[in-house]
Amino acid sequence: MKLPVTCPEKECCCGKTRCTLGKGLPKIILIGNPNVGKSSLFNALSGSYTLVSNYPGTSVEITHGKSRIGEREYEIIDTPGMYSLLPVSEEERVSQLLLFEEKASVYLHVVDARNLRRMLSFTLQLLEAELPLILVLNMMDEAEERGIEINIPELSHYLGIPVVGTVSSEGKGIEELKTAISEFTLENNAQKFRQKIDYGSEIEPYIEAVEGLLDPSEEAEIPTGISRRAISLLMLQEDRTAFEYLHRVEKTPGYWDENHEKNSEEIRKLVKAASKISEVHLSYLFTLKRQKHVNGIVEQVMEIPERSKNKSSGKNGKIRAEDDTGKKGSKTQNSNLDFSEKIDSILIHPVLGIPALFLILYFGLYLFVGVFAAGTVVDYLENTIFGGYINPFVTAKFMSLVPYPALQDLFVGEYGIFTQAVTYAIALILPIVGAFFLVFSIIEDTGYLPRLGLLLDSVFKKIGLSGRAVIPMVLGFGCSTMATMVTRTLETKRERLIANILLALAIPCSAQLGIILSILSGNPESLLIWFIVILLEFVLIGFLASRVLPGEAPTFILEMPPLRKPKISNILVKTYSRMHWYFLEVLPLFVLASVLIWIGKLTGLFALALKIIEYPTVWIGLPPDAADVFLFGFFRRDFGAAGLYGMHDSGLLTGVQLVVAAITLTLFMPCIAQFMMTIKERGFKTALAISGFIFPFAFFTGFIVNTILKALGVSL
Amino acid sequence: MVTKNSHLSLKTITLCAMEPRKTGKIDHLETKNPGILQKLMAMGILPGMPITLLRKSPSYLFEVDQTRYAVDREIANHIYVSC
Ligand SMILES: Nc1nc2c(ncn2[C@@H]2O[C@H](COP(=O)(O)OP(=O)(O)OP(=O)(O)O)[C@@H](O)[C@H]2O)c(=O)[nH]1
Ligand SMILES: [Mg+2]
Repeated sequence: MKLPVTCPEKECCCGKTRCTLGKGLPKIILIGNPNVGKSSLFNALSGSYTLVSNYPGTSVEITHGKSRIGEREYEIIDTPGMYSLLPVSEEERVSQLLLFEEKASVYLHVVDARNLRRMLSFTLQLLEAELPLILVLNMMDEAEERGIEINIPELSHYLGIPVVGTVSSEGKGIEELKTAISEFTLENNAQKFRQKIDYGSEIEPYIEAVEGLLDPSEEAEIPTGISRRAISLLMLQEDRTAFEYLHRVEKTPGYWDENHEKNSEEIRKLVKAASKISEVHLSYLFTLKRQKHVNGIVEQVMEIPERSKNKSSGKNGKIRAEDDTGKKGSKTQNSNLDFSEKIDSILIHPVLGIPALFLILYFGLYLFVGVFAAGTVVDYLENTIFGGYINPFVTAKFMSLVPYPALQDLFVGEYGIFTQAVTYAIALILPIVGAFFLVFSIIEDTGYLPRLGLLLDSVFKKIGLSGRAVIPMVLGFGCSTMATMVTRTLETKRERLIANILLALAIPCSAQLGIILSILSGNPESLLIWFIVILLEFVLIGFLASRVLPGEAPTFILEMPPLRKPKISNILVKTYSRMHWYFLEVLPLFVLASVLIWIGKLTGLFALALKIIEYPTVWIGLPPDAADVFLFGFFRRDFGAAGLYGMHDSGLLTGVQLVVAAITLTLFMPCIAQFMMTIKERGFKTALAISGFIFPFAFFTGFIVNTILKALGVSL
Repeated sequence: MVTKNSHLSLKTITLCAMEPRKTGKIDHLETKNPGILQKLMAMGILPGMPITLLRKSPSYLFEVDQTRYAVDREIANHIYVSC
């Protein structure tokens, strides 16, 4: 049901001279604060799936999708959340850059209806940027639950743009939104918004002066969808992206003008002068002016009942008794809110929060993932289904059909594609990863992760991280590669680097964790030793890194979303899409490893590599045979762990050797994909330095643990 | 413009000095770091808004308008409240 690609004049590129008919689909870009439901809306509009979770900073990159609205097909673009047009963290910058570079036919500013007062300021900025805008009031259900009323037609009238209320997680209001989009044309919305915000007679001349310098001549205007006034405001606030953007377009032939250099120098001078005449920081000034405007609008269109208005506005500041003044909020809704309030206060309680965390870990991680999935399910799949039926059958069939020993070896040999790669991927990794992602999705969707951040902030400060870093760290237990990308949400470069090192070193990913839990769970002492060593390593390296690396100590600011009831549909789709992604990521690498090992064996390189790795292997007290495990570990740590599982099954290792091997392998680099992601986020040199540190250090730790355990005469 | 509430009868203290479960009004923000200032303001922590401190440990948790925020001591020290 593909529609012909059409791009009617004046719509795809807003009628600019560079518009080429039929070049691409008209675009719809979703923008808004973090955690307001942009991705939910994207999923509802496009029918594809991008991750939705209940914490700010879920999306850290741009996602594209397609949607048919009315008679037309559109490209829909989801962006990472941003608080204002002026970004602070990296993922906000990703969105800001997109706004500079793309030109969409419609922009949807998604806000949380309940927080209209806080978010409308960004709407005004987007209007200032003269983007063709529709305001989407999402989470209308939560606003209603708290008895909040918003007069949508009135709001639309004040802003001069369409306003639509939605509950995107339930698909409510999507049809109305689609109608608004298809009725949206530039003509009838041609900048009805004329309530220009006046930033004061002191600063306005500067804004206009910079604006005037942006376009050196008539033909050479800045090629962006954002208005000159908005760019000028950004420059006065010394925004990096705005300057870089100007710098870049200056070099494009169409823009070039003999005056351009003089102009940009002039701009810099104006920015300096403007910041001098204002006694406060300009972003402070601009924000306050805008907010005054917003307050004026909000007072007219929004009604918040006393009870949910900050609990109490009494002069003495005492919390008022839980009186039901909520106009609409019925008893049951209010008791729902009270209940989640109670749970919340336990989860973030400085004392009670700790046992709550351990309960979640014990039931979710240990019992469900470790014992049930990695134990019972894997055992059944591996030994009964694959070991008992499939593998013998396939091996026998293959042997009789293909009489060449070399090929037999490749497919059904000891390290064969089928007998090793496919078996490991399906019987071992998949059930563990699936179970893990399931538990994980539930935890994410409740909103527990930001609470964990609050709980652990002061502990994380000791290792140079803020409580915000709890989120990528916990995500690392799912998949290090995804988590490495999420370090973008951390504020400073230093914090991002420390988080990246710790993710690469000490956070085992789900597949590996599951296998290690199942290997060691037969012997709780081994598991405890493994746990303590990895935890010590995490703390020690974090502590050292925070001492050695230059830069400021991190600070912690995090928005706390309400606890929400997870939606089963989202959990299932999310788990499925992550498993799908993981499987596609894992299987080719496993197969590649099998093939490389096969080539290595044919050419004798495999034996050579094994010989080399035998040295550190023997050095940490393991039998030479265990060298394969580490060789696999270079491909992926979980592949190595799977090899360890095999050795453990055949009883080749003693208890101490098993612990030492498990520890060493846990400390390895996670996998090639994670390494590539580190290169992308941190640069090649840093990535190389991290891995150059990790591999020797992993063996070194193994050596120390082995020496200590031997010296103490421990036998496990 | 920086200070909204200048009633003499009200005392201005930082969020750190506030008692949990009390409500006040944000008076002003004071920090040398423009990044932090910008972030707080963009997140909606603005002078003139009523603010309720909910807890001080394990970290600071407070409510402004309809949203809750968690911050550390350092940040809480930048937020001046009159109550
Ligand atoms: N009650 C309610 N919850 C919603 C609604 N829309 C989204 N949610 C929930 O809000 C949370 C955040 O949704 P996302 O779609 O991930 O938000 P986002 O804006 O993409 O967030 P970032 O990617 O972090 O910027 C999820 O738990 C959703 O299930 C809604 O209309 N009503
Ligand atoms: Mg998102």
